[in-house]
Amino acid sequence: MRAAALTRRFGLWLATGALLLWSLGPIYWAVATSLTAPTDLVAQPPHFLPPRVTFEHYGKLLGATSSYLGTDIQSVWPQFSRALVNSLVVSTLATVATVALAAFGSYAFVRLRFPGRNLLFVLIVGTLAVPAYTVMIPLYRLLVCLHLIDTYLGITLIYVSAFLPLALWLMRSVYQSLPLSLEEAARLDGAGRTYTLLFIVLPIAAPGLIASAILTFLSAWGQFMIPLVFSPTLATKPLTVLIPEFVTKNYVDYGLMNAAGVLAILPPIAVVLFLNRYLVQGLMAGSGK
Amino acid sequence: MTQQAALPVGAMPRPERRREVVPRDERWLGLAFAAPVVLLMAALVFVPLGLTLWDSLHRVDPMRPGTPFIGLQHYIDLMSDTNVRQAWLNTVAYVIIAVVLETLGGLGAALLLQRIRVGRRWLLAAVILPWALPPVVNAIVWMWIYNPSYGLLDGALLRFGLISAPRVWFNYRATALFLVSLVHVWRMMPLTAVILLAALQSVPRELYEAAKLDGAGPVQAFMHVTLPLIAGGLAIALSQSTVFAFNLFDEAWILGGSSLDTRTVVAQVYMSAFQNLHFSYGMALSVLVMVASCLVSLVYVMRVYRETRYG
Repeated sequence: MRAAALTRRFGLWLATGALLLWSLGPIYWAVATSLTAPTDLVAQPPHFLPPRVTFEHYGKLLGATSSYLGTDIQSVWPQFSRALVNSLVVSTLATVATVALAAFGSYAFVRLRFPGRNLLFVLIVGTLAVPAYTVMIPLYRLLVCLHLIDTYLGITLIYVSAFLPLALWLMRSVYQSLPLSLEEAARLDGAGRTYTLLFIVLPIAAPGLIASAILTFLSAWGQFMIPLVFSPTLATKPLTVLIPEFVTKNYVDYGLMNAAGVLAILPPIAVVLFLNRYLVQGLMAGSGK
Repeated sequence: MTQQAALPVGAMPRPERRREVVPRDERWLGLAFAAPVVLLMAALVFVPLGLTLWDSLHRVDPMRPGTPFIGLQHYIDLMSDTNVRQAWLNTVAYVIIAVVLETLGGLGAALLLQRIRVGRRWLLAAVILPWALPPVVNAIVWMWIYNPSYGLLDGALLRFGLISAPRVWFNYRATALFLVSLVHVWRMMPLTAVILLAALQSVPRELYEAAKLDGAGPVQAFMHVTLPLIAGGLAIALSQSTVFAFNLFDEAWILGGSSLDTRTVVAQVYMSAFQNLHFSYGMALSVLVMVASCLVSLVYVMRVYRETRYG
């Protein structure tokens, strides 16, 4: 019996190790590659640990100039910093706008009675089944007409329209789980509906708002196809579009690309580490009950 | 749209049963709160969707004058387009590989997570992590792992003597499809795991004890207690993984570019519309992809309804 328990425990440890290796192994490899000198990268078999830790790939990304094989070359800091700012600005704007619209909109769909509300809600959440590329071509022509291609406003609007249905769906389940009695008590005390929403309902709904914000931010941060079409220049081009461009015709600088990738995954890693409780709730609620 | 974490299943808002006079201020406030959402979605989703359907019946091509009505000509041409057919076959392969691996791996991870007591929160965070990262960065990291000369994959295979010389895996269509799918599986398996973990946690513990008293082993308990009770979650997870694999673009585009061996239907839409500038041809194909992806996920949704009614 004790032997069986030991085998079971060993099996659990083995499975946990395999799962961790699968999930974190590639991330470790990206970090190790980004710290390995170019001459050590071209080795077979590959080094599991960088033989000499170097920050030269990060220097190329973050420094004013850098040297490669003894000659001074232009660093990519001007493009990289621009794309980093673009990613941050667009993701933040999209997150704030989406959560704000969903907080008020969803409250209206759950608690306020107005003509057509059920039909509208079903139609809007139904657009979750409409993939981005199906509406992308008319949107492209529309934004060209409005001179909104390659502007923060244009990209943000498209992101909001893409991520709003999920946020509405999530906030709906949050509002539905709140007790009505709370709002009725506030009303009896003479509070108006807007006041009740702002100062009584929203504070209790905060975990749901955070979950929607996380899902929206991560989706916007990782978006590739939409900015590939709508952000042609560095005016709004995000990291996800810039990094693959580091591949030149005859040379792929894997050290540089992995370093850029490691910097680009820092915000999502921070979110998963510090906010994983909200993230898991959001994923579970968002996947329909 | 492409990147959503979830697709809602069932649960439509129920109409108010009791008829009472709705105060006028409530009606106006409701309309005011909902109006920005409705206007935005109308302008950026519903109108463009209508335009896509309409334009797919016309010839809209910036290189050629006029937009004549051509009926279903694009749809007919799509049927005989060999590139399009190849892209469909690739997508079907991606869907099958991804759904099978994500479901098996996700179920395994969920069962493991449910058994772990100490540090489950951190293990869960580690499992979710790949899902949170930008797909483009994942693809680049894996591209380096797959590198034929200096990559980790060939290095490991050489060390264990499984291959005698480095191989360029992307030269073979079957391995290229599999390796692209693997990157997608790495990103999407966490979602399946989280959905199944939620389903597993809702199974009452007493049922397992009852099964044990009836003399059921772990395999029997899994087949007769766990599986039927997580069928709903399983259907949601399956429909999620199918829809996401159907809409695969980022990983395939970074790893394979425009190569016909790994091109997905979504990549074909992108190339038709934005590289070859055949706008309406791309739109017609995008309509077909949307319909196909909805139909496939509908199959799972129907199953959920049946399971919840009889289950």
